[in-house]
Amino acid sequence: MSWKLVLALALIARPADLGAQTPPNGTTRLPGRVPAAALPAIDSLIAAAAAESLPTEPLVQKALEGSAKNIPADRLVNGVRRGLLQLRQARAIVSHAVPGQAPPEGHVAAVAAALARGLSGPIVERLITVAPDEPPGPALHAAADLVAHRFDPDSAADLLVEAHNKGLRGLRLLDVAVAADHELQRPGGRTPSEALAHVRAMLPNVPTPARRP
Amino acid sequence: MSPIDPRLQEALDNERDPGDLPVDLWEAYARLNAATQILKATPPVSVASRVMAEIRQNPAPVQGEGPGRRLIHWLGRPRAVTVRLRPVWTLALAAGLAAVLLVQLSAGGLTPGVAQGIANFVGHFPGARSVEVVGSFNDWSRGVLHLNDDDGDGIWHAEAVLPAGQHEYMFVVDGERWVPDPLAGRYVDDGFGAGQQNSLLIVRPASAQP
Repeated sequence: MSWKLVLALALIARPADLGAQTPPNGTTRLPGRVPAAALPAIDSLIAAAAAESLPTEPLVQKALEGSAKNIPADRLVNGVRRGLLQLRQARAIVSHAVPGQAPPEGHVAAVAAALARGLSGPIVERLITVAPDEPPGPALHAAADLVAHRFDPDSAADLLVEAHNKGLRGLRLLDVAVAADHELQRPGGRTPSEALAHVRAMLPNVPTPARRP
Repeated sequence: MSPIDPRLQEALDNERDPGDLPVDLWEAYARLNAATQILKATPPVSVASRVMAEIRQNPAPVQGEGPGRRLIHWLGRPRAVTVRLRPVWTLALAAGLAAVLLVQLSAGGLTPGVAQGIANFVGHFPGARSVEVVGSFNDWSRGVLHLNDDDGDGIWHAEAVLPAGQHEYMFVVDGERWVPDPLAGRYVDDGFGAGQQNSLLIVRPASAQP
């Protein structure tokens, strides 16, 4: 049992919930960990995000990550800057999908993460529009999972919209992507469109994985 | 213990002239006499003198000393503590503690909260000396979450309670080699321009797990 580590992680970890709010200022965690040469530029990028009411925690995490990996200062700053640009793009998408509302911070962070995973803006916007009041993280990750497994992005979005319309919510949408991937890998071979059709036929009763990913 | 020769005893008690002792007792007399002189020279250590020495070591509190200082002095002064135990209760307490510990270990010892889930990390790194997992759940800090390979088969694993949600992470092998989790299933470019990918983990709350 020695490998079963009961860690203080729960205490020190920052919640990165799929729809989580992020703390307004994480810059106090940077000095001493981020190279001094990169710190002023990163501080100003985080300050810019805060001034624009964008979530700052993804940028803090990116700075900590790059520092842990010993990324050179210039590339480290560029990585954080790229994160800021993705947050701005994410907010624009959310604002367009849900007009007339202040974009929820959790939505912006989730959309930025989906963009980083390679989902296109139109697909993201479509999935947000279907359920504007729900945390978009699970649906976006499910779509990104499907695209990563060679499913057509529009067809993947169609399947998830249908799953939502048939009552599946939140993390259950991830099960839809898992079911499609299982169908794709089933012995005998199915094409992606056949796999999607098979999963569509079983909606909303997609299986729940015994041990979820 | 052998009885002392009566002539020796008399000489030591000054009841006989040591010069009258036979030659074969001279050496014994000399040794005993020397020992007697040493004992006479050592000052007696009485109970009273030891008590007084102890009192001198721990002077009475100075008049007007505040209660805070008195408390600090009291706390800082060494004291003898006498513990009286009944063996039967001691054994019962030890058995109870052992039972609680065993129950926790057999249950895995991991009890996630409402917004937490259990994450399993497994990697095949034959020949590795150390493997750890570093990610957004621990602020990308090194030395927090180590994987173990107790049986030396090259399969390293760890289990941890993490906040529910999305986490990016990587394995660090032998303290220097950053490796994505080959079993993660989800990956995302780390954004630093070298095409390196982080593994992506979505932790479901334990309450949502079957």
